[in-house]
Amino acid sequence: MPDHDFSSKQYLIVDDFSDMRAVLRSILQSLGATRIDQAANGAEAIDQMQRRRFDAILCDYNLGPGQDGQQVLEEARHRGFIGVDTVFIMVTAETTRDMVMGAVEYTPDSYLGKPVTKELLRTRLGKLFERKADLRAVNTALKAADYPLALAELDRRIAAAPKHLADLIKLKAEVCLKAGDYAGARAIYEQALATRDQPWAQLGRGIALYHQQDHAAALAVFQALVQHDRHLIVAYDWQAKAQVALAALEAAEATLLEAARISPRGLQRQQRIGELALGNGHGEVAEAAFDRAVQLAAHSCLNHPGLLGGLAQSKSANGKYAEAEKVLGTLETAFADHAETAFVRASATAAIRSHQGDRVGAQAALAQAEAALQDLGANADPRVASEWAATQQRVVAAEEADARLEQLIANNHDDEAFLDQLRQECPAGIDPARLEAKIQAIRDAVIESNNAGIRLIQQGAFDEAIALLQQAADGMPENATVRLNAVKAILLKLDKMGSDPNDARHLGEQVAILERIAPEHPRLAEVRTHLARHAAR
Amino acid sequence: MNTPAPPALDWSDVMAASIHDIKNSLALILGNLDDLVGNPENRLADPRQATLLKQEVQRVHRSLIQVLMLYKLGNQQFVPQIAEHNLEDFLEEVVADNQSHCAALGLELGFACDAELTGYFDWELVRGVLDSTIGNACRYAGARIRIRADREQGELLLRVEDDGAGFPASVLSRLPDPRLSSAGQPNAGAGNPGPANPGPANPGPANPGIVSPDPIMAGRTRLGLYFAAQVAAQHRDGERVGGIRLANGGAFGGGVFELRLP
Repeated sequence: MPDHDFSSKQYLIVDDFSDMRAVLRSILQSLGATRIDQAANGAEAIDQMQRRRFDAILCDYNLGPGQDGQQVLEEARHRGFIGVDTVFIMVTAETTRDMVMGAVEYTPDSYLGKPVTKELLRTRLGKLFERKADLRAVNTALKAADYPLALAELDRRIAAAPKHLADLIKLKAEVCLKAGDYAGARAIYEQALATRDQPWAQLGRGIALYHQQDHAAALAVFQALVQHDRHLIVAYDWQAKAQVALAALEAAEATLLEAARISPRGLQRQQRIGELALGNGHGEVAEAAFDRAVQLAAHSCLNHPGLLGGLAQSKSANGKYAEAEKVLGTLETAFADHAETAFVRASATAAIRSHQGDRVGAQAALAQAEAALQDLGANADPRVASEWAATQQRVVAAEEADARLEQLIANNHDDEAFLDQLRQECPAGIDPARLEAKIQAIRDAVIESNNAGIRLIQQGAFDEAIALLQQAADGMPENATVRLNAVKAILLKLDKMGSDPNDARHLGEQVAILERIAPEHPRLAEVRTHLARHAAR
Repeated sequence: MNTPAPPALDWSDVMAASIHDIKNSLALILGNLDDLVGNPENRLADPRQATLLKQEVQRVHRSLIQVLMLYKLGNQQFVPQIAEHNLEDFLEEVVADNQSHCAALGLELGFACDAELTGYFDWELVRGVLDSTIGNACRYAGARIRIRADREQGELLLRVEDDGAGFPASVLSRLPDPRLSSAGQPNAGAGNPGPANPGPANPGPANPGIVSPDPIMAGRTRLGLYFAAQVAAQHRDGERVGGIRLANGGAFGGGVFELRLP
């Protein structure tokens, strides 16, 4: 590789350590490079890339606090600052290799271990420049999203069976996936697997299967990959996707938690964990994940109001209403001009109100969120729509859960053992104080209806008393105490007014229910005696 | 008083952090040495000294990588990244990276392989094995070292051949096996990584029967050879597993180190 190939290129060195940048610069200069820029951290690097096109970027993986090299690469590709024709070399200490290899969607063109030597850089860079030059036409087609042309260009090169044939075949399969030709991609991966079992081909095959809607087969592929290499983070992410497609939401959450344990800096993964955990009723997990996501996003282009919205929702799920409101307050300052802010605020407010048991407030906030979503219109990110659906579902589910809980308390309002158990297992999303309030409210209602019933009986208004107590009993169908009160009223009427076929039938029905729900109840024994006395008359 | 207990020491983290730091230092030393040697303003009484320094720095670096890698292999923390690579590209890089110090020692380093030849292997791991093999061959070669790559019986065969005196018979009879842990004191024989069959758990006392002329070299070659055997064993395809072999003869009549990868 003649040196003049290096001299015409534009380079960027990214390292937080100035001496290290100096070493790399002097190596590049010794190779003939003249146009060399430097950056000390991710933000500076992104800034440079935004302003100028580079032919080659040498980026250290460890950049101190803030973004790491992988995040710099992701942001640069995501924002289109570096195209497929830019060489991106990740400089790593051997120790970070596990972390970096098999990383996510965006992989660098090459990894270089430290210390980087002049000779190594010359051969590596020379070959990469050569390869990029050979792929120029393919790159142009890809940039224009002209996949048929990109594939035709690739086929032409593959037919010539060059040195880097394996790379070309890999690239072709990736282009097939992008173009939506899943069968074509799968055929390429399966052909590679017929030669040899290789993780990249297994992964690709799993992705193709997933897109072909064969989620169970895809899941099996990803699980086998993770089993083989527990650092293959990308396989966890796909495994979770397949699990979600198969409605195994708890399993998907567990899979992503495992991936996050190995690679905790993935912003989108943390967000996904938060969303899944919220849906699965794991408030603590959700709060931790959104907390982490918000921190990570501070350094990222992927920051958006939804993260603070998620944090607010999960805090509210944990009963931290004041903190949740505070988070929504920061939303206003951090994303004042963001189109999604109004929607996120309304949708998180709906969640908070619903957790607080304020159904009217929740419905009002949901309506606001819906209006905000309409304002976003066609510009709405598909993510926003799905977040909307999830929030709505959670609000509805929370209301249903609330109703179920109230029923549970109503049916056992005087069963202290049962209530203690309920207090201990305090259902997800209900804070203890609210549970107590609910119990108290139901007790008050029972006492109130009883007192009203007694007053009516004292006034001789037996039928009104029976109707009132019967209504209370039907509202708590499994509550023996309340039903016994209704039965007692009927018996009092029978005692006072004498036998009546309607009352007798009514009494029979109520006792039958009591025999089913509380055959051991001591007051039921009294009722039986009472009945026997009436029958004897 | 309720002071939290300090977290348990994770040796993997300690090693990773230390090695990261040491490698940064090595990179600086290497970079400055390059500048020192490359700058015509500098006049060194014996330019060979700078080259030797560089060589030793690289050796320290290799040993570090080997130690860390072996540690991780032992803890099942490491999964090789095996992919298909072109051998010419690979050997070009290996030779380029080792060229300058071979040249400084007056040795000719070259490679021979079919331009189309490809093989399945972990680029960094196998490069580590070849680097350390070449490093050792440098001490025993007469004037030439060559790497050959061939496909034989469906396997990739990498050979490092030199024109030195070759391995003594005692060495050739003891092929290293990563599963063995019996003590064996290498005598750092001619060419290549030298003999050994130690395990990491038992580096073993020196075998009193064999005189090691240079204990530092002996330790290095033992580590190098053990590393090579481990790397070979990490390469498998179905039932087939990679291996290493030492022999005499070859194209140059000296020592031959063979790495076989399925």
